[in-house]
Amino acid sequence: MWKQPYFVIGFSIIAFFLAGSFVYEWIWGNVPRQIYYIMEGGRAVEGAPISPNWQFPLGSDEFGYDLVGKLMLGAKYTILAALAVGALRMLIAVPLGYILGTYLDKHRKWISSLADSMHYIPLTLFAAFVLTPVLWMPQEGFTNTIWERIGIQVVIMALLTVPIVAILIANEAALLRDKEFILAAKTLGAGRLRIIRKHLYPQMREKIAVLYGQQVMETFIVFAHLGLLKLFLGGTKVSYDPMFGDPPMSISYEWAGLFGSTFRYLQSAPWLPLAPVLFIGLTIFAVSMMMEGYLRSKNPKVKKLRKAKVEEPAVEWNREQLRNNMVRIKEQEMIKAEK
Amino acid sequence: MKLLLKFFIAVGGIILASSLPVLIAGWLQKEWRWKIYFESIQTTLQELWPINEIAFFNYRAQRPMPLFPNVFEYITYSLQILFLALLVAVIVSLGLTIITMLLSEKARERVKMALYFLESVPDLLIIMLAQLAVVLFFKQTGILISQIAAVGDDRIYWLPVLCLAILPTIQLYRLAMLTFQEEERQMYVDLARALGFSKVYIVLVHMFRNAIISVFFQSKKTMWFMLSNLFILELMFNLPGIMLFLRDNMYPAGFLVTVFSFFLPMFFLYSFGEWYFVRRMRGKGEV
Repeated sequence: MWKQPYFVIGFSIIAFFLAGSFVYEWIWGNVPRQIYYIMEGGRAVEGAPISPNWQFPLGSDEFGYDLVGKLMLGAKYTILAALAVGALRMLIAVPLGYILGTYLDKHRKWISSLADSMHYIPLTLFAAFVLTPVLWMPQEGFTNTIWERIGIQVVIMALLTVPIVAILIANEAALLRDKEFILAAKTLGAGRLRIIRKHLYPQMREKIAVLYGQQVMETFIVFAHLGLLKLFLGGTKVSYDPMFGDPPMSISYEWAGLFGSTFRYLQSAPWLPLAPVLFIGLTIFAVSMMMEGYLRSKNPKVKKLRKAKVEEPAVEWNREQLRNNMVRIKEQEMIKAEK
Repeated sequence: MKLLLKFFIAVGGIILASSLPVLIAGWLQKEWRWKIYFESIQTTLQELWPINEIAFFNYRAQRPMPLFPNVFEYITYSLQILFLALLVAVIVSLGLTIITMLLSEKARERVKMALYFLESVPDLLIIMLAQLAVVLFFKQTGILISQIAAVGDDRIYWLPVLCLAILPTIQLYRLAMLTFQEEERQMYVDLARALGFSKVYIVLVHMFRNAIISVFFQSKKTMWFMLSNLFILELMFNLPGIMLFLRDNMYPAGFLVTVFSFFLPMFFLYSFGEWYFVRRMRGKGEV
């Protein structure tokens, strides 16, 4: 796995964001540097938001905060939350799927059509609908801490598509269950639990890993969508002041919030919403690179195909031997017949 | 009969989902509100009963409006965009697949790899870049190709449809490539080739007929993905569609109306497709 360039590149992108995020906070604290205007020859040439230049690679936001700093600080929230959502979802859905596929196989049909109804509800819409009571700050302020809210959000988002993933695994397990090696194990007296543990799980390990990667990618997209709806990771700070109300704000610097709260600047300061989405895209890209690298390390199909075309000398030699032996046997038979 | 059962199970699932926020709000207070949950479902269903009396608040008009026929216009507009984009995605992806299938093995693998990585482009990025590009083009040449946001009840079509179609096209393209390549290993393709049919003919006539079935069955996931995208698209383009309407009616009845407006046409499309393809496959088996 670690020899696959795809896997290594993907892994290092994600590791860079995560490590960078913690290191940044450790060195510069959790407030990015702020600058109100750029001086050139004694005159202010540009006020906040500053467009990208050499000193500030991604420019600054409308309050003069450095965007790179904000993105780095926010990386850990977004990435860790997405990884956690995927992991939790798989942790619930995999055992559930196996139970559905083995113990409850009679009910699999109708449960799967119930889960199928989820396919008609747009995921973002469903997430927004369900998460609004959790994330939108009520008038009297939040009653729980930011970590509690992040925890609740992760759990709910993980649960949202558990039915679909579980059914996917159950169907896959049901397909495998009719295979000969499982029937053989059953005849030898293996219980259902043992079949799941020793036969179904190892057979599906790669599929589960790929499914995990897909769930993480999907979660990033949903985070970004929720950001557009002003539902940010860990809650949205809403100002209820009728006169000087601030626009809804994200509490941390997580990427969905950085995107969602600056979307209205798309035409005037395009780097503000574009940079977070680019970072999200880059992370999704890194995850898909890791998946591809992992798959290639498990079944190097591409290489095998090329090798198959070249006749292997060993095979050739074996064939030759077989042919010679056959000829010899035939000769002996003929000799016997003559006698 | 089976179809009817499936339909009712799906409807039941959606209704159960419509009142979930109540449960979650209760969960936040660390209590189980099963009773309120079921009461909420009941009142929601009662609200929906005389179907032509339902009224929703319309923020464009700043007053409540009855569901029929006003909101119905929004629904048809959303569905128009959705199905136009789907049509574009299907046609373009199948066309590209057929062309790619005629290329060499090496080129095909490269195309597949590129598609795999292109899939990770977020939809938001595509929409934002499209909007920026239109404005940039306008500034440079003074020609407005398309409006980038709907004002009032304007209807803009081709730019949203294009933005919505790009990602599904990539997904379907890759899916179709995989299915076609799977199909290519079948015996009948070898036979056809041995009989001297040209590659174009085999791909277009024989493989296409068989591969299209499995592409259809796997396209449900793409549809699901498109629904989420449509939602975002309407927000970003400020389109007067059903999704934007829902944002202002985030309560169970509004949710139900919105979901059903997609569910009904999509369910019929898929049921009809399944019925048609299954019948065709069976017909072939009997012959």
